Amino acid sequence: MAAVLEARGLSKSFGGLQAVADIDFAVAEGEVLGIAGPNGSGKSTLFNILTKVPFAADRGTVLLDGRPIQGRRPHEIARLGVARTFQRESVFPSLSAIDNVLLAAEGARRGGFAACLAAAEQALDLAGFPATLHNMPAGQLPVFLRKLVMIASALALQPRVLLLDEPASSLTPQEIERIRALILKLVGAGMTILLIEHVLPLLTAVSDRLMVLDHGTLIASGRPAEVIADPAVIEAYLGRER
Amino acid sequence: MDLPTLISILQSGLALGVLYALMAFGLAIVWTTLGIFNFAHGAFIAAGAYLAWQFGNAAAFGLGYWAGAVLAVAAMFVIGAVVQLLLVRPFERHRDIVLLTVITTLAGATIITNLLNVIWGPRMKQIEPALDGEIVFGLVHMRSQEAVMIAVVAVTLFALGWFLLRTPLGRSMRAVAQNREAAQLMGLDVRLLYALTFGLAAAVAGLAGVFIGSIRFMSPTMGDDPLQKALVVVILGGVARFTSSVYAAFAVGIIEAFSTYFVGLYWTPAVLFGLMILVLIVKPEGLFGRRQRSV
Repeated sequence: MAAVLEARGLSKSFGGLQAVADIDFAVAEGEVLGIAGPNGSGKSTLFNILTKVPFAADRGTVLLDGRPIQGRRPHEIARLGVARTFQRESVFPSLSAIDNVLLAAEGARRGGFAACLAAAEQALDLAGFPATLHNMPAGQLPVFLRKLVMIASALALQPRVLLLDEPASSLTPQEIERIRALILKLVGAGMTILLIEHVLPLLTAVSDRLMVLDHGTLIASGRPAEVIADPAVIEAYLGRER
Repeated sequence: MDLPTLISILQSGLALGVLYALMAFGLAIVWTTLGIFNFAHGAFIAAGAYLAWQFGNAAAFGLGYWAGAVLAVAAMFVIGAVVQLLLVRPFERHRDIVLLTVITTLAGATIITNLLNVIWGPRMKQIEPALDGEIVFGLVHMRSQEAVMIAVVAVTLFALGWFLLRTPLGRSMRAVAQNREAAQLMGLDVRLLYALTFGLAAAVAGLAGVFIGSIRFMSPTMGDDPLQKALVVVILGGVARFTSSVYAAFAVGIIEAFSTYFVGLYWTPAVLFGLMILVLIVKPEGLFGRRQRSV
């Protein structure tokens, strides 16, 4: 199946630190590619250089539907269909929940105000955000609902691929379960997803494939059950047995 | 103090307040959106006045007061966007952007002021007012031009508030001000929005210049004092909301009017700056501000 998003030889360093080193991957239409790795392994940096927010890769190629996008500016990459959420709940705090999502719908440039508003409401509904809180300033919402606003904003872009960066961090087990159900609902709707997650049961439950990074390099990739049993992965997480 | 004197002071404070609100708007929106202080803001005010004089006055193009004002405001929008492009954008991602743009906007102010001097000369000029004469309501005696100014500024401030709160572009400007990275991920062209914000700030500064130029005499350095007053207003009000600096502008206008009556014109700037320092110590987020800046 043709890849929706493909990376070839992606690298990024900060001075002497190689944050991402020569990473290749491809994610097919409707596939969920899970990304795991210890803290500082380069997972979020990978998302940063894919979206060019806040910085671009030093080297490598990113293809969206076969076309290179690394020459595009960050907002153009978003409009082309690469949507991303942050690990912390990154919203526009003084804007209402609906205005947050409306911005993304307007940013995607698909139709007039009425169409954008409808798209924003639909995205919030899809994310499971309570309709009664649409007009609440996003900064006053609890963490879980801010995460939903962030995910709904990404969905309102009507993306080709959705990059979720630790959607379950700082959440209760019940909220993690709702995030799991939401991801599965998106998968059911045919969404292509790249998912970074430390909560391994969630990651393995929703991912078709898993890739593990350590010190910026790809150390394992394949079916989730095989990857988490890989000795190199166990060593990266737990250290070498003496 | 008798009633006519009190009314006269309040009226003077109101007229100053509307002018200060216009002056401070641009400074505040550039600070909240781009995170920099624009020292060329005073020069924008002066340039707006001279352009309106050039377009409108009988001694120049003679298009009339309103056409002159509209053309000056439109030209200032373009000039503001160009100044952002030349003096601010090159340092956009630099870690010392605040310091660097203090220097570049100060340089911009000097260049604009000298250009005004070269083009129009140092001799005092005045824009012919839209209306002559005086309006009388009971105890209130007001110059017609002042009444025009208050009405136009009130409409302008409401329009700006509506624009920022209700339109997609205004929403985008507020979003960029709160979270640049998230805005980029929402497909917003941050560079374009920065240029538009600077243009809007310059256009509103230009409108303030038109009014100042029609009630006082114009000189190339006429923006220096308004820049200081706008700084006092922005610091007193804080920048949490669009309305913060508007409230502060009226507060400063009224305080200045009373201070001029009681302690004189000479000491009034000292009173205002003393008040500004006091606010910086006691409530650094501003009288109408919130302690935490948005993330």
